[in-house]
Amino acid sequence: MHHAQIDRISYQDSPIHRLDGRIKLACVLIFSVFVISLPATSVSILACYAIWPFAVLVVAGVPISFVLKHILIVSPFIAVLALSSLLYDKAPVIATFGPWRWETTAGVLRCFSICGKFIITMTALVGLVATTRFSDLLAAMAKLGVPHLLVVQLGFLYRYIFMLIDRGYHVLRARAGRKFRNLGFADELKTTAAIAGSIFIGSIDLAGRVNMAMQGRGFDGRFHRLTEMRIAGADYLFAATLTLYLVALQFLGRVF
Amino acid sequence: MAGAVEIENFSYDYPDGTKALVDINLSITHGEKVALIGPNGAGKSTLLLAMSAFLKGTGKISIDGIGATAKNAKKIRSLLGLVMQNPDEQLFMPTLFDDVAFGPMNMGLDEGEVRSRTTDALKTVGLEGMERKPPHHLSGGQKRSAAIATILSMEPKIITMDEPEASLDPKTRNKLNRLLKSLSQTLIIATCNMDFAAGLCERAILMDEGRIIADGGASKIMSDAKLMQTHGLEVAAVFSRITH
Repeated sequence: MHHAQIDRISYQDSPIHRLDGRIKLACVLIFSVFVISLPATSVSILACYAIWPFAVLVVAGVPISFVLKHILIVSPFIAVLALSSLLYDKAPVIATFGPWRWETTAGVLRCFSICGKFIITMTALVGLVATTRFSDLLAAMAKLGVPHLLVVQLGFLYRYIFMLIDRGYHVLRARAGRKFRNLGFADELKTTAAIAGSIFIGSIDLAGRVNMAMQGRGFDGRFHRLTEMRIAGADYLFAATLTLYLVALQFLGRVF
Repeated sequence: MAGAVEIENFSYDYPDGTKALVDINLSITHGEKVALIGPNGAGKSTLLLAMSAFLKGTGKISIDGIGATAKNAKKIRSLLGLVMQNPDEQLFMPTLFDDVAFGPMNMGLDEGEVRSRTTDALKTVGLEGMERKPPHHLSGGQKRSAAIATILSMEPKIITMDEPEASLDPKTRNKLNRLLKSLSQTLIIATCNMDFAAGLCERAILMDEGRIIADGGASKIMSDAKLMQTHGLEVAAVFSRITH
């Protein structure tokens, strides 16, 4: 159960955790579209957009360190894109942040915009996953019309990622128990390849047996699920608050 | 009335040519609790798969009078539920409720019936209140019970189980034993654990190298020290005490 912390936070209880998965998912998607479509020069408004996801995390009691850790894991991909814009776009521009104005390059502004949008949208996304049980999230995706095959694949990925983690953990522990010296790069690489191969073959075998278990219970290629989902007053309130917030930011963006 | 399981001259070879089952003849009546015993590689698991219409061999297998062929597979699997050896292979849905409801949903039952069967099955195995838990957060014993619940919810006439007691501690094993004893269905349990088999089944079928070696009363077969040792097994403790 060393992987239990993956689900731990989504199983907490808070007003945000209790919201309907469909509302949370739709809100995060709409919020992300608004953030992404913001012009690179709107620095002040971008900062205002950050308030919403952080407020949600505070109300939900999700530790900020948990969110930051997950953002850091995927940040290298965006960092390359953001840093490269520093080199390619050196046209001078005037940036404004509230009463302050300063001269910089379009590349710096773009880099800041990419990083800012990434952090804000990722915070909203990690917040969604941290406040919604994965099964509820899958049900919400299905109800919102996400292709059935994708929902099923995600369900299996979620279910079996834990077994792969366990399997990898056991294999590494078995290796550590018999490895008394550094093997050198070539042999380490060979061992690692063998471990990866054994886990891969094991996962194919597992998939075959799972398929057999599914057929044994009448599976004919179509998934049927029973899901009880109800949109309550709190869900409408949450969606209405976000709508007002986005409208207000749009208004501010035009005025300033 | 047709027998629960009727097998006539059934043989099956693995794709590499290895003989997995050789000329199996067997008849099991409704309500029997049968232990399929034998050493590793005896063909017990293969025979259970063949009963579920997963393997195509020569000869004939009938489940409740219906031929276990690919054509009848769906019908066969609604009559005979297979509990696999590793519960992680049997539990694949995001929540326990979804997993137990999976079979009844595929049977085309209406929502009320699916909910009622799922709730009853979870109650029978003592997992009520855990409906929303993901299967990977259950303990080993709970996973085993959950795997049984996934089959109970389909209300099959026959339940086959592949080493259901494997990797369970004595307390959980005893609990499982009590649960299986309470079931009214025909039970066919493949196992290497003689104590578990002796405590549960009145009939034993000894297999080795893909063949049926002996078929009869559990006490008679499992107390025959010579027979058991010849086939890499041991006399169950309960019979060992009687013998000495």
